[in-house]
Amino acid sequence: MRDWKALVEERLAGLGLEPKERAEVIAEVAAYLEDICEGMLKQGMTEDEAVGRALSQAGNWKNLQRKIFAAKKREQPMKKRVWQVWVPGFLTLILSMLFLTALYRLGLRGRLVWSGPIAILLYTPWLAGLPFIGALGAYISSRAGGSRANVIFVSVFPALALTGAFLLMFPIGLAVQGVTGSQGDFSIVATVLLKDGIGWIVVPGVALLVGGLLAHALLNARSSSQRTAIG
Amino acid sequence: MIAPGIKRGTAELAVLSVLEDGPLHGYEMARRIEEQTQGSLRFTLASLYPLLYKLEKRGWVRGAWETSTGGRRRRCYRLTSAGKKKLAPIRAEWSALFLALKRLAKVSHA
Repeated sequence: MRDWKALVEERLAGLGLEPKERAEVIAEVAAYLEDICEGMLKQGMTEDEAVGRALSQAGNWKNLQRKIFAAKKREQPMKKRVWQVWVPGFLTLILSMLFLTALYRLGLRGRLVWSGPIAILLYTPWLAGLPFIGALGAYISSRAGGSRANVIFVSVFPALALTGAFLLMFPIGLAVQGVTGSQGDFSIVATVLLKDGIGWIVVPGVALLVGGLLAHALLNARSSSQRTAIG
Repeated sequence: MIAPGIKRGTAELAVLSVLEDGPLHGYEMARRIEEQTQGSLRFTLASLYPLLYKLEKRGWVRGAWETSTGGRRRRCYRLTSAGKKKLAPIRAEWSALFLALKRLAKVSHA
């Protein structure tokens, strides 16, 4: 009986994987070659012939070693997540805020939609630019291998950050009331939060999401057509 | 025989399709593919394992050591739910390609 593990280990000596992973690859390749060899022996080959033919399946062992290493090499999950989620997420947040500041400095103001107590301030020039920012975040996340969920999260990240800021207003407001002793009318506070929530979170979130989903769909369509073309 | 360049593109589809019927170890996988394609697609050690490891890294297949009744340990691969989801669009892409080639060069597929 041949020691297939030893034969493979000798040929894949330079496989630069973790010891456990390397041992698994060697055991797996050895088992495969053993099966191949057995199949050839059943066909009537001599043992030397069968071993030689089985080993020749690897072609160039150095090349195989390089291919296995490239296929097995893992990116660090944290590094991957940074590029798939956090970098594009904070980029969309920073860009959307810078864009809003720039528009404000240029004198472009928001406009009130509806009138009376339910009037909502919509910053239309800002909203018009948000799909592009959402699309940029989605593009960076997709290029880094981000899933659809990552892309959606990244696109709407500025809206999520604003939601967090709004939610913080409740306890802060209550604390301020407790310190000053003033009694606020909760219905007024709730109306303001609802209106501002629609104008600053829901509508911008939808604008960002539309851009993000469109970019993701376009990238998917392009990569699948490239795959079909290259084959 | 199919030219190596064309085969390379079909390798993912071949492996995922053959695993759709159930878990298999490398040798059995290569044997089934060869048998089902009547020898047109043949996997060697050099073509099969790098591909399996790539598919495993993508989360489309999962390998686990299993011991057969004869006491042999083999690493068997099974299709994950992500792999099952991926198989349908890959099949659709290949069907579209075959259809396009058929129209273009009157190539027909079996």
